Amino acid sequence: MVVGEVAEGVDLLVVGGGPGGYSAALRAAQLGRSVMLVDRLGEAGVGGVCLQVGCIPSKAMIEVAEAKHRATSLREAGLQVEQAQVDLAQFQTWKDAKVAGLTSAVVGLLRRALVEVVAGDFRFTRPGSGVVQSLDDRPPRHVQYTDVILATGSRPLELPGLPRDGVGVLDSTDALALARLPASVAVVGGGYIGLELGTALAKLGSRVTIVEALDRLLPGVDAALLRPVRQRLKALGVNVLLEHRVQSFEDGRLTATSQGQAVELAVEQVVVAIGRMPNTDGLGLHKIGLTPGPTGLIEVGKDRLAAPHVAAIGDITAGPALAHKATAEAEVAAEALCGLPVAFDPATIPAVVFSDPEIAIAGLSPDEAKAQGMDVAVGRLPLGASGRAATMDAADGFTQVVVDRATDAVVGVQIVGPHASELIAEGVLAIEMAASPQDLVGSIHPHPTLSEMLPDAVRGLLHRPAGATVPTAAAVGAP
Amino acid sequence: MSQLEFRLPDVGEGLSEGEIVEWHVEPGSVVTRDQVLVDVETDKSIVELPSPVNGTVVRLGAAVGDVLEVGAVLVVLETEERSAASAHAAPEAPEAPEAPAAPAPAQSPSPAEAAAPPAGALAGRVLASPATRKLALEHGVDLAAVAGSGDGGRVTKDDVLAHTQAPTPPAPTPAAPASPASAASSGRPARVAVPPLKDELVPLRGLRRQIAKSMTRSWTEVPHITEFREVDATALVAARALLRPRMERDGVPFTYLPLLVKAVVATLREHPKFNASVDMAAETIQYHGRRNIGLATTTDAGLIVPVLKDADTLSLSETARQIEVLANAARDRSVSTDQTSQGTFTVTNFGTFGGWLATPIIRPPEAAIAGFGRIRDAVVAVDGKPVVRPTLPLSVAADHRLIDGNDMGGFLTMLIDYLTDPVLMLEAS
Repeated sequence: MVVGEVAEGVDLLVVGGGPGGYSAALRAAQLGRSVMLVDRLGEAGVGGVCLQVGCIPSKAMIEVAEAKHRATSLREAGLQVEQAQVDLAQFQTWKDAKVAGLTSAVVGLLRRALVEVVAGDFRFTRPGSGVVQSLDDRPPRHVQYTDVILATGSRPLELPGLPRDGVGVLDSTDALALARLPASVAVVGGGYIGLELGTALAKLGSRVTIVEALDRLLPGVDAALLRPVRQRLKALGVNVLLEHRVQSFEDGRLTATSQGQAVELAVEQVVVAIGRMPNTDGLGLHKIGLTPGPTGLIEVGKDRLAAPHVAAIGDITAGPALAHKATAEAEVAAEALCGLPVAFDPATIPAVVFSDPEIAIAGLSPDEAKAQGMDVAVGRLPLGASGRAATMDAADGFTQVVVDRATDAVVGVQIVGPHASELIAEGVLAIEMAASPQDLVGSIHPHPTLSEMLPDAVRGLLHRPAGATVPTAAAVGAP
Repeated sequence: MSQLEFRLPDVGEGLSEGEIVEWHVEPGSVVTRDQVLVDVETDKSIVELPSPVNGTVVRLGAAVGDVLEVGAVLVVLETEERSAASAHAAPEAPEAPEAPAAPAPAQSPSPAEAAAPPAGALAGRVLASPATRKLALEHGVDLAAVAGSGDGGRVTKDDVLAHTQAPTPPAPTPAAPASPASAASSGRPARVAVPPLKDELVPLRGLRRQIAKSMTRSWTEVPHITEFREVDATALVAARALLRPRMERDGVPFTYLPLLVKAVVATLREHPKFNASVDMAAETIQYHGRRNIGLATTTDAGLIVPVLKDADTLSLSETARQIEVLANAARDRSVSTDQTSQGTFTVTNFGTFGGWLATPIIRPPEAAIAGFGRIRDAVVAVDGKPVVRPTLPLSVAADHRLIDGNDMGGFLTMLIDYLTDPVLMLEAS
């Protein structure tokens, strides 16, 4: 008798315990559904890449690296620290405790919502049915679901010729788990993950080289935003090799080619961070009549449904592979499957890069706005105009606001500078609310803060007489 | 090589004639088997007639606008082995089956992932806050159709709410007992450019002619009596709100209509005269065992009444689902003759057009018709005090040859009982 093939009924099944998956599970439970959440690692995997090996661990490392760096960079201000040291092994213990704390908090939420968390990989067997195969020897569980939300996320791409071995060739997960700092490291990939990791490792004390195949870092990000970052990388001694294609890594020598020339780099370890691919290949999607696109993405409607009773959210759908996109979609998917009229229709999905200085983007760049046929006005304030920035010894960066003159609405905000990742949220609100420059200026911002830069950036756009020059140093000095 | 006379087939049960709406071919056109030759409008629907063979069009049997009897020659085709005639391709061939879309160019994983999301189009996006957007979704309102009262046309929550109150016919009012016509519509009113007025004589054809004949017969033959009532819809509104999320899990919109149909069906059981037909020639009254409910459905071409068969045997969710199917079929004119015949009673929803009360016209040989207005708040007297209650206006017209005033009173009293306390329908089911 094959006991394992007796299917159990599940009202709403969520596949994947990342930010999208657990948010969807919680929202569905709130709406009265009985929810099962399947994650490869069960409760230990809740939070997904983001919490376990992505956003959260990397921010922990960046925070410590920055604290070490600042301890020695404020010498001119009188701060005397002989030698700041980071014990990476101790850091890992601390970071693991933080991650464990956050994980158990999410597990607690799921338990209180009576969401059953099951360990294993789910794959479809036919429409309405599937099987959960655990990684250990437990028998597979057959389930029949009413509705399913797919939130299986993505995994790092490997570089052909440079397979990960966890010793010499690392992926981002390995890099964040380092207990000993390599003396030298090459980061392959100049996207945001490579840039964040490379900067943090450099501040911790490694000799870092960033190797990028294209002719620029952060493809897709306005070049103007990148300039302060390039300057800071230079100051940190980070070597940036553009238009270099990596070939192999053997005996501590990384081989790359550039314009037909072979280049060799002697480095202790290599971190590959060239992108991610969606986890849709093992789901058995063909069993329910779905075919992922050429890059593995599942096509969904505005309600995030890929088929009746089947929703897909997060990295396995089109758009930026960002946790906050997944959590926003989770709400829509859960509500759509409960019959509520919903649509995923944001004006913008913000993007932040925890580089030094930080880059944060919401809405349209000036060029993008022009390309959409808008009558564009741009307000821009350099970081040097901010009193608060001066006290932080920060001068490289700016705040920029893009306005559509026809509707007098803010359509884009770009910030480069300290805490840009925090400051951008106000820009998102302004874009979603179709705020006008006057709305920003009319909302009193506390002084002295970096947040003042947003209204000050657009102050010059108000009542500007033709041809008049407007002082930009509005925020300098005492009130 | 031989000639084939393709005759107008009986595309529906009992069809006797059809009107040529559009030719997709002309003499000389090379056609392949199953290629659509012509659109023919019958009493209830537009039918695309495909070619039975591969061949060449020799002659068309009728011009656009002609009415052909079933069996008349529609088109003469010369059948042959597919020849070199392909040089003369059909100039107005209907859309060929779409070629499989070329696969998007495979994007090899970029060596560097983009940090920034591709910016979506903001140009042309309606200016409205996320809360306003959500409200619009909940009310089925297309923001693009709302006139924004804020600066630069910004749409406010009040604008959305005001839009839902406006009695613009094409935009269904969610507060009203939505008709089949509104059930599946997107809430996006069709924007039609208004042409200048001109003198014009057009033939009465197709669906319009059928409606005209049927209504004339009813108005001249059937002595109507019509009665009007207003119903406290508090419990009905609550019942729909409670049922809706469950009913809509499968994606079928749950309007008031299924509840109204259920109430009518339950009432008909106790009042068989309303589910009957008078035959003056034979001097008989035919009582019907089945309760087949006609659903007056607005389409671009005119009123079509698909029939919900054996409505008494259907669950509430099945009723909702079949109404949706029938209404869609009526609107895209794919409804079959079978789906529009054998009605025994009709329900109409003038509330969809913002209506309060109306005098519905009976569809002979049926004996009665019920019309529902729009639910709106009204001041009513409760225990001697003025109270605001959601109120549903309704009117029932009946054939006075069969039905007297006291029959009407009994029918209405029971119908109103079911609508006032929907839970009573449990007893009837």
